Amino acid sequence: MSAVAAKPAAGGAMNPTAMAVGIVMLLILVGIGYMVSPMVLTYAPAISPTFALMALLGVIIGGVLIGFGTHFVPVGGAPAAMGQAPGIATGVAMLAAGAGLAGLFGGAWAAELGMVIAVVTGGVGGGLMMAITCMMVNFVYVFGMGIPSASGKVANDPITGDSQAEYKSQGTEGHGLPFISFVGGVIGGILGGAGGTLIYLELLSLYEETLPGMMQITPAQAMPIAVSAAGMFAVGLFLVNAVLTAYNITGTIEGPHDPKFKRWPRAIVASAVASALCGLVAILIVVPL
Amino acid sequence: MVANIIFGIGITALAGALATVAGSSEDTESNIGSQGDPNSQVQLAPQMGFLHRIFNKAVAGEPPAYGLWCCLGAGLAWAFMAMQINPVLAIVLGSVLATFVQGVYATTAYVGRTASLAKFGQPVYVDILKSMTSVTMAHAFIAIFCTVTLCHLINTALGHPFPLPLLGLIWGIALGAAGSATGNPYYGKERQYQNQKFGAGVPISASGNIVRYAEAGERNSLDNGFFTHKIGGSASGICFGLIVFLELWRTILFEQVGAGWGAIIVGVLIILIFTVIDRYIEVWARKNYGPYTEVKEVSS
Repeated sequence: MSAVAAKPAAGGAMNPTAMAVGIVMLLILVGIGYMVSPMVLTYAPAISPTFALMALLGVIIGGVLIGFGTHFVPVGGAPAAMGQAPGIATGVAMLAAGAGLAGLFGGAWAAELGMVIAVVTGGVGGGLMMAITCMMVNFVYVFGMGIPSASGKVANDPITGDSQAEYKSQGTEGHGLPFISFVGGVIGGILGGAGGTLIYLELLSLYEETLPGMMQITPAQAMPIAVSAAGMFAVGLFLVNAVLTAYNITGTIEGPHDPKFKRWPRAIVASAVASALCGLVAILIVVPL
Repeated sequence: MVANIIFGIGITALAGALATVAGSSEDTESNIGSQGDPNSQVQLAPQMGFLHRIFNKAVAGEPPAYGLWCCLGAGLAWAFMAMQINPVLAIVLGSVLATFVQGVYATTAYVGRTASLAKFGQPVYVDILKSMTSVTMAHAFIAIFCTVTLCHLINTALGHPFPLPLLGLIWGIALGAAGSATGNPYYGKERQYQNQKFGAGVPISASGNIVRYAEAGERNSLDNGFFTHKIGGSASGICFGLIVFLELWRTILFEQVGAGWGAIIVGVLIILIFTVIDRYIEVWARKNYGPYTEVKEVSS
């Protein structure tokens, strides 16, 4: 059970050099995006020369939202499954992906209603999934196992002020989902769902414009291909960013009150670089090289 | 218009019911197979000197595993439908083939993981392999079939733009996430550590000392599936059923209200309702179960 005893201090320090290198890499990737962006005009002469660059920036913002949002999701991993640590008893990347993809499902459905509506719908879909899941987790802990919620990282719940230490059973780090963890889970689901939907919409608009010219087919014929390709890239980017964050928090986190949460700036830079690289690949498939 | 909404609500209810069965079956399958986080204890026990007859198949985390199986089932069903095969038959065939893949993974995972424990004296029980694998496959089939069917309903009857395989991947991952989040603690704490005190977490010092004996003879994973299905499985089913039902319900009924803002407002209201329920459960537990130790006067 080394995961329970793991101290957040290990690996928690920021490395300015690595951050600077990450930002330089991000600028280089965005620069490449700026260079190749006018090339898509070959397939879609009517669009703006910076259309693909805007899509790339949207993908980066979406990826950063996913990476940041995953930090909020309370995940306890294996120790949580034995009531030895607070959080949801599954992997952080998996739970964040489950919530975010449920949001992406709703956001994609609302795509025709405009970007703002779709992104907000995606966020609410992710938040809804997490709210139901977190509530059912506490339901099972309380009514199935007779165990109240208790945090192992703070003396009092930052929202409700409830004391935590005396509700921890002997020999454990806490258990269940204190209210702050529930709220963190919902916020994580909202950010993840919104980020995934934003990636999907940006790539969908790019593919809708370029695929008919590139494949010499009608827009109606290109639509299913555009939806599928944008959906697959959105799912892939979701997993990339969720797994990056899982490494950043070394597998488990209680939520926004956990000291590990302070590591988020590192994940933001990493998510931006990874999303820029993946987004560039997603754009290059419609660029004549 | 009204007929469309009534049709949509009917499909939503059916999809919610299918999701409930899928969630329940998924959790029971993973508990019989000891997939998910409680597997750590099944793997740890022989290393602590506790040999057992529990099935041990952590193929992957439940979400990616079910993402694969549901995507495979949906993709094959989609291919069969493209070959003009009846959708019902196509979904059954796709789910059966996906279940065979699950069976292969389950077999190799059990043999491989248990063989890695040979140095601790843990044997590979061939009778366990023969009797448990088919049961996990049966439960996996139910979960995959229900998920692929609800994806097909969402795609064809409700008109979601994503193709069937992509919907299978998304809802497969969501199914695994909901099932593992809700069901894992009940199997991991309540069943594996039935010898520990009720109403308290498992002390870290007890790790690996899982219950290995039943009323008669040694406990096996069928006993675990029977036990956990009653609460863990049901709760997982309700969790995934609520997710699918409420997500579809708010979209079908309220998306056209206020140019899309209706579904958003209803979604936020539902989140707030679940927040209140969660807080009620938390406070109820604190009041009725009480603290384990005396309340400290001064806290940091």
